Amino acid sequence: MIPTALILRSRASGVSKDAPERTGPSFETRSAIAPQDEGYGSGKAFWLATALISLLLTAATAEEIKPGSAFLSASMQRQQEDEARNPGWLWVEQGEELFSRREGAAPTCISCHTDPKQSLRGAAARHPQVDAASGKLINLEGRIEQCRVDRQKQPAFGYESQELLGLTAYVASLSKGVPLTVSAEGAAKPYYETGKAFYDRRQGQLNLACTQCHDGLVGQKLRGDTISYGIGTGYPAYRLEWNGLGSLHRRLRACSLGVRATQFDYGSDEYLALELYLAVRAKGLALEAPGLRR
Amino acid sequence: MASFNARITMPAEARAGEIVEIRVLVRHPMDRGGQVDSEGRVVPRKILNRLTVTYAGEPVFRYDMHTGVSANPFVSFTTRAVETGDLTFEWREDGGATFTRTARLVVT
Amino acid sequence: MSSPISPACARPEPALSRREVMAAGVAGLALAAVPASTQAAAPPALAELIARITEGAVPERGRITFDIPQLVENGNSVDVAIQVESPMTQADHVRWIHVIAEKNPFPDVARFNLTPRSGRADIRATLRLATSQKVVAIASLSGGGYVMADADIVVTLSACIDGG
Repeated sequence: MIPTALILRSRASGVSKDAPERTGPSFETRSAIAPQDEGYGSGKAFWLATALISLLLTAATAEEIKPGSAFLSASMQRQQEDEARNPGWLWVEQGEELFSRREGAAPTCISCHTDPKQSLRGAAARHPQVDAASGKLINLEGRIEQCRVDRQKQPAFGYESQELLGLTAYVASLSKGVPLTVSAEGAAKPYYETGKAFYDRRQGQLNLACTQCHDGLVGQKLRGDTISYGIGTGYPAYRLEWNGLGSLHRRLRACSLGVRATQFDYGSDEYLALELYLAVRAKGLALEAPGLRR
Repeated sequence: MASFNARITMPAEARAGEIVEIRVLVRHPMDRGGQVDSEGRVVPRKILNRLTVTYAGEPVFRYDMHTGVSANPFVSFTTRAVETGDLTFEWREDGGATFTRTARLVVT
Repeated sequence: MSSPISPACARPEPALSRREVMAAGVAGLALAAVPASTQAAAPPALAELIARITEGAVPERGRITFDIPQLVENGNSVDVAIQVESPMTQADHVRWIHVIAEKNPFPDVARFNLTPRSGRADIRATLRLATSQKVVAIASLSGGGYVMADADIVVTLSACIDGG
């Protein structure tokens, strides 16, 4: 498959439609390999047009950030909402079982969180948040692991384990439809600033910042995808690419790799801060986990 | 392997003669074999190769799956409600393991 | 929080498609980017694949509806819906519906076995398609005939995958 880097580079350089015919077979070969070059015209014109379009787009949509599902085909949107059809619910089901499963003498999740449909409704919409005891930023995955280690005295499941994904999906599903109310104030402020700086900073070999695509080029095509606002309200999500459920941090690792930048660890400070920034940016949008993504 | 679980969606009740739709979503990686895992080992083929559905003991549907069926496969089919009884879903995995689930259809 | 890197992230899922492309190339399946010289012997022709399951009979077109997106968003899971016009009686029903994807490493993808008790010949499923190709649905009728429908599909790639 053609790496993203190649596609971007070919856009930047462009292949002029007026290329002399004398280039002969080598030109033929090149167009066969990279037919997407056709129609972009000269590099400068393309980038000028792109810049203009993105300015217009930014102006028109600045006030209405849409969730990832808004960029899916109608059929995938329907499937996401269909619990008989969205495979993410298989993980929700696993999480629900784990929630009341007894391990040794440890209390079960449900022995403290009785009536989770009521008591935990909205919990996912308030994460990430600063943990009062440690003063550190913690997301939903971290909160669940904290409960497991500190209160249940059980070994942590580990980020991206099927068990933690299941429990996270279950707890997140209890907040389905609840608008995000993550705070960027008080103790969260420095984390928010760190996350925003990460989002705005150019990174990696492609030297791209999150904002360049996820604010500047929303709605445009990248490979077969439509560029979204980079909103995480559908995570953990079932991604067809993964053939399974994955966390937002797994998705962010794919973003980092996409621009050939450092991939940070699951649960790293960098991605936690970014997760907070994305959540604040999505304030008011309803949680839709388990989402369905390409 | 991740735990096996199945979501079977169908009406609990139907009138005699009515055609009901049955939707089945099951959790399975459907490893088609030949891929390399994180330790560099070649993953052998392991898929669910067959789903057989009986209704009050009578076979009503069978799905033969090959490597071209997606991970966590979904399938929907129909059956005519004839009598109150259990629908039994049996999946057969490469290597011979089987998984079974049942769902009751009440016919009025 | 220090977390182990999950095996899930190292799982070379994106390599699947790459591997399939390689496999397809080796098998001599036409790929725009592969120079003709690297293509080996031709794969079994579609007509041959069909004849194998119909015991040589040539299926008629019609009576069968095959819904599959022309532009597949991700080949890992492709929604198909197949309906055959049939009274589904003991005397006249659909025995099975078989799906062939000619450029999959194993072109026989799935078979749905029905009975008169099915009431309708109406199936939905999620399939895995290696690359852009022609996909065929063939139904075997109780009277001995076969009907078929086909579709040319294009498999697109998503932008940001774990393997870059």
